[in-house]
Amino acid sequence: MARTVGIDLGTTNSLVGYIDPQTGAPKCIPGPNGSALCPSVVSIDEDGGVIVGEPARRRLLTQPERTIYSVKRLMGRGVADIQDELKLFPFRIDPSSKNVIRVRLGDKFFTPPEISAFILRELKNWAEAYFGESVDRAVITVPAYFNDAQRQATKDAGKLAGLEVLRLVNEPTAAALAYGLHEKQRGHVAVYDLGGGTFDISVLKLISTSEGDIYQVLSTNGDTHLGGDDIDNLLQAFVHDKVLQQHRVDFSPHSELAQELRKELIALKHQLSEKESATLRFRLPSGAVFVHEFKRANFEGLIRPIVDRTMGPVRQALVDAKLKPSEVEEVVLVGGATRTPLIRRTVQEYFDRKPHTELNPDEVVALGAAVQANILDRGVSNMLLLDVTPLSLGIETYGGAVAKVIPRNSTIPASAQEMYTTGVDNQTGIDIHVLQGERELAKDCRSLARFTLKVPPAPAGLPRIEVKFLIDANGILQVGAKDTRTGEQRTMEVQPSYGISDSEIERMLEESIEYAEQDFAERQAIEARTEAETILAATQKALVTEQAASLPRAERESIDAAVAALKESISGSDYKLIRKRIDDVNQATMHLAELVMNSAVSTALQGRKLAEV
Amino acid sequence: MQNRGEGGAPPITPKFSMSAPSIVREKGDHFSLFGLPRKLWIEMSSLEQKFLELSWKLHPDKFVNASPTEQELSLKSSSELNDAYRVLRDPVARVEYLLELEGMRKEGEHKQQAPSELLEEVFELNESLDELREAKASGGDLGSLKSRLESAEKNFQEKLGEVDAQLQLAAKQWDAAIDADAGDANRKAIMVRLNELLNRRSYIRNLVTNVQKELL
Repeated sequence: MARTVGIDLGTTNSLVGYIDPQTGAPKCIPGPNGSALCPSVVSIDEDGGVIVGEPARRRLLTQPERTIYSVKRLMGRGVADIQDELKLFPFRIDPSSKNVIRVRLGDKFFTPPEISAFILRELKNWAEAYFGESVDRAVITVPAYFNDAQRQATKDAGKLAGLEVLRLVNEPTAAALAYGLHEKQRGHVAVYDLGGGTFDISVLKLISTSEGDIYQVLSTNGDTHLGGDDIDNLLQAFVHDKVLQQHRVDFSPHSELAQELRKELIALKHQLSEKESATLRFRLPSGAVFVHEFKRANFEGLIRPIVDRTMGPVRQALVDAKLKPSEVEEVVLVGGATRTPLIRRTVQEYFDRKPHTELNPDEVVALGAAVQANILDRGVSNMLLLDVTPLSLGIETYGGAVAKVIPRNSTIPASAQEMYTTGVDNQTGIDIHVLQGERELAKDCRSLARFTLKVPPAPAGLPRIEVKFLIDANGILQVGAKDTRTGEQRTMEVQPSYGISDSEIERMLEESIEYAEQDFAERQAIEARTEAETILAATQKALVTEQAASLPRAERESIDAAVAALKESISGSDYKLIRKRIDDVNQATMHLAELVMNSAVSTALQGRKLAEV
Repeated sequence: MQNRGEGGAPPITPKFSMSAPSIVREKGDHFSLFGLPRKLWIEMSSLEQKFLELSWKLHPDKFVNASPTEQELSLKSSSELNDAYRVLRDPVARVEYLLELEGMRKEGEHKQQAPSELLEEVFELNESLDELREAKASGGDLGSLKSRLESAEKNFQEKLGEVDAQLQLAAKQWDAAIDADAGDANRKAIMVRLNELLNRRSYIRNLVTNVQKELL
């Protein structure tokens, strides 16, 4: 069976990890130059070839118009959202793009998921070269505070890179998993994660049970546009002003000179984490050299506003977890930016506790992703992650107000049902607008989707349509509707407000390099066969349970017939037929699966009752 | 009435319930999912333990290699488990849910009018809030207004505490009525009382939130 890996798709760097079967410990996989850090930079050369990582980063200086960094900032966002970023980042956006951004690299346009897919594919290649076998399943991490659209965009990127995304795991949760293995911690843990472009704070409870360890997230908060990049931007603006004053030199923040300066300033920032002062010497096009000595104290004065901005979410997360700072037993620092001494001091003072920094803050998320990939791959394990949704889910009501149906920090999967009816006779549609966020008005929340429920003509108030909103274990919304009078399931086209539609993804997949090399139908047949084998194995398992023994003969016969038909179809290459027979087996075993699941639940409850006696 | 213009409210008639998943109608309710009677006192540590045990059985992470049917069932039942736990562990949400379950509290029918004996105090409070907003807008003196509002907030916080105590008392009466297998009339009377207290609580809670927002 092909390998499963854990991937940290970061703003600045991306990494891929796996579990070493010998030691059982998570490890990061090095790339061709020996480093496990793959700079999240993509460049397109003149022939249309894709360059990723360190070589692409070097091209930031020589080919800035063909190269992009920090693309994570654009994931799941619309053009209107990123106007502020455009002042600071050299993103060249297709002026005609609206709800899906298209970025120009050379003479071609790419969506953020496509660019992220290039990074994922590079990491997939690293892992395949390392193992000498194929890698087709992955856990990918996302900032805990990512909304639905940002998560969906990340999942799309995985799909475009030819990976089955087993789960999106929140970055701070992944870090806690890595530390949990490392430290055997128990009790309440706060994870402070300041990465290149995003900030997250998560509060977890680590619980030991007879079946294993549970990592339960109690609350999460953050800012998806706050990170080390912002420190760089501040430094850059500071130096830019000084250069203008002293040398009367003004340069565009998008120029090659600005990229050169940025590189110098990042090195300087790193020095200031080690030393009390560092000096910038920057050669201007005129030949003059700008010299400025930064003392750590000045630097800290400059970046304090950024550090302060992280503390609001920290306080809110603790309030939501119903904990005082002193009740948090362990604090973990994650993300390269937490090497900054000011951040370490601020966090330590707030919790009155020395934070953990033992694991490499650049690698810890990928290590945790590898742990979760291993848990999921094996299906059964002595660890379980219970995560939450970071933002409340709401529906627009009269007057543009928002009614919350799933509160933030609800354990996922989470769901809500709402009943809808019509306001006038023979109304044929009910418009529904789904939002995410904490504000009271729809215009201040993030629009996730708008859709129209189709209703058969009837007197006002008679139709009863139940809409189910479900946030899955990836934090992604699913919507289903049912006419409760007829029991009829209603499907609806839910058009996401931001993001790429399913059909567009399909088209991109068909056009992508991998599919060009291999016949589409053949590829589909391989995928369908793999899925069929999984189902046959699962069905076999269900058929030897007690519940299966008690099935009526007719039901058992229809299962056997469906299984035989599916087995017969997988020897052929008609993927549509295989898919149809997979559906048939699913239909035939639906009732049995329910029986088995119910029995698991009642066994759990009985176990509890016995223990109580 | 397909008013789909920009920014206009959609012509929907949503009725919002606390939480009434399909399991309520199909198989059972939040209480029965946890093997509990419909009583309001719940032992928290045992509820948590059951929640964790059921999570081991139902969480989608345990079904990654299972058939799509099993995956779908896992998604459905683990979301129902999480929804049930979210409601039952919160004492107020639990009362609201019980009343909905018993048909006492209709979806969306949450009364928001001021309890009569509070009318005068609420009137004064709203006046102070208006004055504070005006003073903020015109840059006037906020000090004395703020301290007036702070003491009003303290006053309403105390009232909230009283309502919570009364709610607890009524909850005990409910549990006693269930234990004694009391008649419908008796149970109905307790539910009416619980419902009044919930409305009162939500009204005062909103007041406190509004004051806190202005004082920030």
